[in-house]
Amino acid sequence: MIDSILLIDDEDLFHLVFEDACSLLDMTLSLEALNSSDEADRLFKKWFIEGPIEDRPECVFVDLNIIGSSFDGIEMIRKINTDYGNGVVIGIISSSDDTQEIEKAKAVGAQFWIIKSDEIEPRLEEFIKDYDGYQARTAPFKVYK
Amino acid sequence: MIEITEHTRNVLLEVAKKKKIYVEGNFLKLLKAPKGDKEFEEYLTVCKDKDSTARKKRLSVTKQVQSQNKELEKAAKENEQLLLDLQVALDEAKEAEKEAQKLRDEAVEDLDMLQKRTQFELIGLIVKVALIIIIGVGVTTTLLYSVAMLAGEDTTLLGNAWSNMFGILLTNSFSIIGTIMGVKYATEKSE
Repeated sequence: MIDSILLIDDEDLFHLVFEDACSLLDMTLSLEALNSSDEADRLFKKWFIEGPIEDRPECVFVDLNIIGSSFDGIEMIRKINTDYGNGVVIGIISSSDDTQEIEKAKAVGAQFWIIKSDEIEPRLEEFIKDYDGYQARTAPFKVYK
Repeated sequence: MIEITEHTRNVLLEVAKKKKIYVEGNFLKLLKAPKGDKEFEEYLTVCKDKDSTARKKRLSVTKQVQSQNKELEKAAKENEQLLLDLQVALDEAKEAEKEAQKLRDEAVEDLDMLQKRTQFELIGLIVKVALIIIIGVGVTTTLLYSVAMLAGEDTTLLGNAWSNMFGILLTNSFSIIGTIMGVKYATEKSE
């Protein structure tokens, strides 16, 4: 089970879907969902500068296009990995399967890319199986289709 | 995991029995039944089943709403596109109407010009014919009068006829000129 998850996605309905799917799959006991990357950026800055750094979530799912935010999911991942000390399992959760974007995400240090669809549970189930590898930084980048 | 005290256990079981209220959410996953407490274990199983059923139901409804939202968004985008197309078509129609109006005005102008030209040509023809007749009659009468005078014939009748004829011809000439001027004046005013 993942200790804590942070979801950054502008779609409120998806927050509910994700929360229920996580609960049904026993993925985590602690899930926080944010609507904007700016808010997430503020939190990561706080955790990184003021601490305690342990307050950071264990795993972060970021949407690719976060409407109403100053920057997209790829930039969010870049910031977390380069500006805020890395240390979290991080990847994209998006309805897009654009190969160029996937490559960009990989380049900034995303560990996975989950494609959102009506049937998100099987992908999350597969993700949980690979999770230990992501945590140990041994699993290669993977796209869950 | 949280181990429940005897008092809490009893309260939870009583609330479930009497009021049908069960523990739900992720907190449920932290609760642990005391060893050998079958009744509380069953209670926790019921709680978990209820929570799972409720979540499945909510997940299904949320997915439906999400799907409907997507369809609505798609329909809204299509509508927007249709409106844009309609606006473009409307603009094109307006442009075509303007063009048609311009062509119509040009055609009316051409027709008007043609009518005027025909009118002027007709007037010119009338003037020419009238002048030919006037000059012809004048010349013929003058010739007759001159021949009669040279021949030493009686010219009283011819002289009177010549002067009368000349007077009439002059009057008619001025009348024609007056008519032409009048037509010209009227045409210019209508423009």
